[in-house]
Amino acid sequence: MNFTEVLKLAFSSIWAHKLRSFLTLLGMIIGVTAFMVVLSLLQGFNLYIDEKIAGIGSNIITVQQFGIDDFKDSDTIAAAQRRNKDLTFDELNFIRERAQTIDKIGVKAGGSTVDIKRGAETLQDVRVDGAEPVIADIEKLDIAEGRYFTESENNNSVRVAFVGADVASKLFPFGSPVGEEIAVRGIPYKVVGVQTAKGSIFGQPQDVFVQLPLKTYGSNFGGFTRNRLLYFEITSLSDKLFKDTVDEVRTLLRVKRRLAFDEKDNFGIITPDAITSMRDSILGPTFIVIIAVPGIALLVGAIVIMNIMLVAVTERTKEIGIRKSLGARQGDILKQFLFEAATLSAIGGIVGLILAELLGFIITKFIFQTSIPLWSAFVAIGVSALVGIVAGLFPAWKAAKLDPIEALRAD
Amino acid sequence: MPALPVNVLYEFMQVTEQIVEMMPSVTSGAPESLISMRNIWKTYQMGIEQLHALQGVSFEVQKGEYLAIIGPSGSGKSTLMNLIGCLDSPSKGQYWINGSLVSAMTDDELATIRNKEIGFVFQTFNLLARATALHNVELPLIYAGMGSSERNEKARAALASVELGDRVLHRPNELSGGQRQRVAIARALVNHPSILLADEPTGALDTTTSYEIMALFEKLHEEGNTIILVTHEHDIAARAHRIITIRDGLIEKDERIR
Repeated sequence: MNFTEVLKLAFSSIWAHKLRSFLTLLGMIIGVTAFMVVLSLLQGFNLYIDEKIAGIGSNIITVQQFGIDDFKDSDTIAAAQRRNKDLTFDELNFIRERAQTIDKIGVKAGGSTVDIKRGAETLQDVRVDGAEPVIADIEKLDIAEGRYFTESENNNSVRVAFVGADVASKLFPFGSPVGEEIAVRGIPYKVVGVQTAKGSIFGQPQDVFVQLPLKTYGSNFGGFTRNRLLYFEITSLSDKLFKDTVDEVRTLLRVKRRLAFDEKDNFGIITPDAITSMRDSILGPTFIVIIAVPGIALLVGAIVIMNIMLVAVTERTKEIGIRKSLGARQGDILKQFLFEAATLSAIGGIVGLILAELLGFIITKFIFQTSIPLWSAFVAIGVSALVGIVAGLFPAWKAAKLDPIEALRAD
Repeated sequence: MPALPVNVLYEFMQVTEQIVEMMPSVTSGAPESLISMRNIWKTYQMGIEQLHALQGVSFEVQKGEYLAIIGPSGSGKSTLMNLIGCLDSPSKGQYWINGSLVSAMTDDELATIRNKEIGFVFQTFNLLARATALHNVELPLIYAGMGSSERNEKARAALASVELGDRVLHRPNELSGGQRQRVAIARALVNHPSILLADEPTGALDTTTSYEIMALFEKLHEEGNTIILVTHEHDIAARAHRIITIRDGLIEKDERIR
């Protein structure tokens, strides 16, 4: 009996018991759907983060007081607070003068939020940073209107501001803000440029900010201490050299700070890799749990399939007898029932996949980005067919071993 | 000459005994007849008791014979039919069919013999209810591994030969009893088996239809088919050319009536 014969046979007997097949499949369908939806959400989440990281500027190395590892728990935070020191312009110049693999290096400071005013209008909780003009190149800022600040504006502490899209649209709903004035802590600044809207990352809006020239910021906000610490943004000469640049910056800073080889870094270097690995470390354990739950649904589906196949074998004992009397070998009967179970299960997998695709489409449309990776679609169908085969093994073996005389005698 | 240890001697005797037991199958070659049953026993273990359904049955059937096996219920007739049909293996004795020693075969080898050498016709037709007449007739060819177009052609021809050429796509429940039995006969014949083995083929049919079916058997016999009919009805058996009567697991009578 060849493959197509067995497959035809499987389909015809599944079709003969439409309702029963459907009910049997429900478990499988639910399992696969749940599995795929969860997977597609995770995948969507990953894509989302990757996109956002790319949006931040995937090649930027940030040097700051604390590293991601320092935030592991309260002990590491405490240790880092004791150990780590503020970054200084001295250190910036030290790196700038010696580094071979750096393309650009710039400084930013700040991060605290204040209220911004325009006349009687107030916008609350706006993040205010100071930045060197080179930051625009490093972060590859998209400028919707106007321009970024110039070196001379920075050197002369001119009161100019580059604002996020939301600041512009909320304080200047009509007309362009460029050339207009806004007030930060009572001091007026002239808006020179507006950034293109970027949306939000992890629920953090990216368009509610005001950037001032670093020196303007330093003199008007009271120095680079406490919550106005300096941090460096660095780009590498090329993507290939990225890792070398990270190592170089780290080494230079350690040299400058005279750290012994066995001492820990007393600063933090943050790369997009570090962000992705943080994401992985958060999602890793979640992933296992999330996959395990639909896995249980699949197991239940398998048990249902095994049960229904046992019923089918009992019900079709006569048919098995007839087939055997006509020359069906044990292998033929085994194949017939195994294929039926596998086909049944694979149909469940395919239906589940289609449902997941639909659900994913709806979720993407209304809630959150999802994506079903192609490999997982094949895995879902493969796994469900495999589950069917495993579940069908015992019933099929029972059928194959039936004594033809006994089987023919059955009603 | 050193004396042979007793245990070696004993072992030798045991082995000899085994060899002697195996002898017939080794020494006597394939018989000329289509079917050759030699001292066939079938014993069932019922708890601690042994039930001898067949107690040394021997007979030969030549190609082209029309044979009826008759006997009351419990005579061992059904057991014999199962053995002839290769659905079962004898406990003892040799069964040759078309030159192959069937009694020593494995289950799968028996399945192949059933497929190639035996065409079954059952009292209750035993058609697959969900399948069309055509598909039912195709079944033996499927298990013989024939390709679909050739299979289709042969099955249609077989149905045409039992005058059901216009009913190929009907399902069993859309056919009369006589038509169903003719589908079963077409199915039995489609693979050109050595023997057409019919078990009470008219048992579920009315008299008129029974005569039709018996007439069909006669026609098939005239065309050269070997037919073995198992029945308990004397007037049906009387249509055959030879009648073997079974009683208490033994052949009581083996007479040629035509």
